[in-house]
Amino acid sequence: MTVSAATAERSGPAGVRGTATSSSPARGGAGPRRNRADTKAGYAFLSPWLLGFGLLTAGPMLMSLYLAFTDYNLFRAPTFVGLDNFAALFADARFLKSAQVTAIYVVVGVPVKLAAALAVAVLLNARHRGQGAYRSMFYAPSLIGASVSVAIVWRAMFIDDGVADRIQQLLGFPAGGWVGDPGMTMPMMILLAVWQFGAPMVIFLAGLKQIPAELHEAAAVDGAGPVRRFVSVTIPMLSPVLFFNLLLETIGAFQVFSSAFIISGGTGGPADSTLFYTFYLYIKGFTEFRMGYASAMAWVLVIVVGVITAVLFRTSRAWVHYTGDVR
Amino acid sequence: MVRTRTTPRTRTAAVQVTALAAASALALSACGGGTTASADAAPVATDRDIELSLVWWGDDDRASRYEEAVALFEEKYPNIDVQTQFQAWDDYWTARSTEAAGQTLPDVFQMDLAYIHQYASNNQLLDLSNQVGVNLDTAGYDEALLASGAVNGGQFGIPTSTNTLGMIRHDDLLDELGIDPPAEGLTWDEYDAWIREVSEAGADHDPQVYGGTDYTGTLWLFIQWLLQQGKTAFDDDGTPAFTKDDLVAWVERTQPLRDDGVFYPVQRAKQVEPLTGLQVNEAATELTWDNMMAGYSASAGTENVDLLPVPTGADGSQQFWKPSMLLSSSASTQEPDAAAALIDFLVNDPEVGAIFGTSKGVPAVVGQRDAMEIEEGSVDGKIVGYEDAVAERVTADTPLPAEGYGVVEVEFKRLGEELSYGNITPEEFADQWFQSAEANLGGA
Repeated sequence: MTVSAATAERSGPAGVRGTATSSSPARGGAGPRRNRADTKAGYAFLSPWLLGFGLLTAGPMLMSLYLAFTDYNLFRAPTFVGLDNFAALFADARFLKSAQVTAIYVVVGVPVKLAAALAVAVLLNARHRGQGAYRSMFYAPSLIGASVSVAIVWRAMFIDDGVADRIQQLLGFPAGGWVGDPGMTMPMMILLAVWQFGAPMVIFLAGLKQIPAELHEAAAVDGAGPVRRFVSVTIPMLSPVLFFNLLLETIGAFQVFSSAFIISGGTGGPADSTLFYTFYLYIKGFTEFRMGYASAMAWVLVIVVGVITAVLFRTSRAWVHYTGDVR
Repeated sequence: MVRTRTTPRTRTAAVQVTALAAASALALSACGGGTTASADAAPVATDRDIELSLVWWGDDDRASRYEEAVALFEEKYPNIDVQTQFQAWDDYWTARSTEAAGQTLPDVFQMDLAYIHQYASNNQLLDLSNQVGVNLDTAGYDEALLASGAVNGGQFGIPTSTNTLGMIRHDDLLDELGIDPPAEGLTWDEYDAWIREVSEAGADHDPQVYGGTDYTGTLWLFIQWLLQQGKTAFDDDGTPAFTKDDLVAWVERTQPLRDDGVFYPVQRAKQVEPLTGLQVNEAATELTWDNMMAGYSASAGTENVDLLPVPTGADGSQQFWKPSMLLSSSASTQEPDAAAALIDFLVNDPEVGAIFGTSKGVPAVVGQRDAMEIEEGSVDGKIVGYEDAVAERVTADTPLPAEGYGVVEVEFKRLGEELSYGNITPEEFADQWFQSAEANLGGA
């Protein structure tokens, strides 16, 4: 289970070939001819995906890589400007602001969301009556959470005299909605993300079910209390799932867009407090018609997310335990 | 676990890529180049079926008025079928810019002064000059107004209606507070003092009432203020004709009102968006385009609103007409004659004038203006009355926004918001806006 094995499978055609090769000895005597026929068939079945990948993914991606080095306003032909776009990025105060806003969202939002997902998963893992119903109920926000209507409702909850304001007044905090306060929009956005904990929760739940009961029993016999069992048995056994959720949620958090777009009315406001990275990219590309600049931003994001993913994989060796690993 | 461990990476790539896909697909098509030649105009053909696309920005109300007008047009030209579509303002321009990159702009579409330069100077719009007198009648137009649709000697847009800046006031609120409306002909400083008076009186009102909304972040009002000092906004090359000091002066003069919390608070304004303080009955006045009053009155739930001219400057009370919207045709249209005929019908036909009323502003052509059925004392009547009354003040030429105006206007508004939150100083406002102007104005 190494990263390189993962890479091989991910790369599509190469992965197909790899699978065919490694499985042929097991079938025995199939020979290279049969193998090639398999390969052809494999490609044939893959062709819809390959076509889509080429036309809709790889092609545009290469095009945007080219555009990142040009000045392009959508109307006139692109002109090559070398690294100017990238240089301009780091002199752009709003770019830095958008990077900062996104970083806070990822660094605070992801751990809180995962903690919420894990907590609910642990609760749902215990045996209750009507457990299936609870699971569906807790999962529901994830199904609708990304929708425009929820963003609108969310906004309404956080205006003056909205639900949040009322609760805050009941608890004796100063009155006032969050929507118009640049210091409070980020907590509001993070709460919206956390509320959609359903997807990681379901994965956690599946992971919890896989933990052999005898491990807990053995720990209990040795005198471990519930907290100790959670820390020393559940968490290590769950670490591959935790790692998977962490990656997925981190990558997803970098791309937050639509909820911020709706809640801020398409401005990233108030005072740029919800100017997420992808949102600023959109503004540059489609409001200011600076497609070259926007492409450069997109590539910087690809690189940053790539590096963070690589770093997470690196550190995972230290804290992710796979059953059967010799440690 | 291999499968689950690899999934995230695959997803990264896939999602990143889709984000980019849209952008780059445009580039591919943009390389195809466009058709710019507009052949000689001929009377619109009646012997074959023609299909036209018509697109506008606006709400449901406008859509139903357009549908009604289009039905009349199709009655007059039975061989022409008009396909309609509309979006809200922001989405509208996103959609149009992507279409422009792909040379697929609609046959006829609404155009705004803020964008016409950008589209025209990039060969996206049909020059309608040779349609004038053939399929398009412009005899009913004020020359200066028609010129607002002209760029580099070509006629790329036909104004449908006019508006001018004004001060909308909420008389119900003023009656409740017992404060007299601002006097006509008051200066900017007097207006600011009046706002302060109302905000002080309204402090104990529930909900709290303010005298006015911070108008500093509206680029058009700054231009209006410059004109009253005998200055112009933009040079012929599209770059600012005013100095950084002019801009600092504009921002600084309202700074005491922001510091003292006299303006309608920005925190509240952000919450009631897309409505404004006046529309939610919490601000007594607002400086904006006169045709907005109909919508404002509807949201505020009162007909007891009225219009005053904008405050006057030290050197005069000049105002200007702005076409509230124009109609343009795509340079790549296959049916320039029919497109011109549709534009002609929409701007000249009296019945169309009656259908739209003042909802797009006061119709530019007299024939349409006279066809409106307006009740005495109604909100529509007040708007028309205001434009009649203010006509003698309209001495300034329409300041024609340069290429990139739309972008720097958005930046002006954003900086105004930062100012209201106290995040930047007037000097920083001017510095940052000029940075944006250098990067965007004059085809930079």
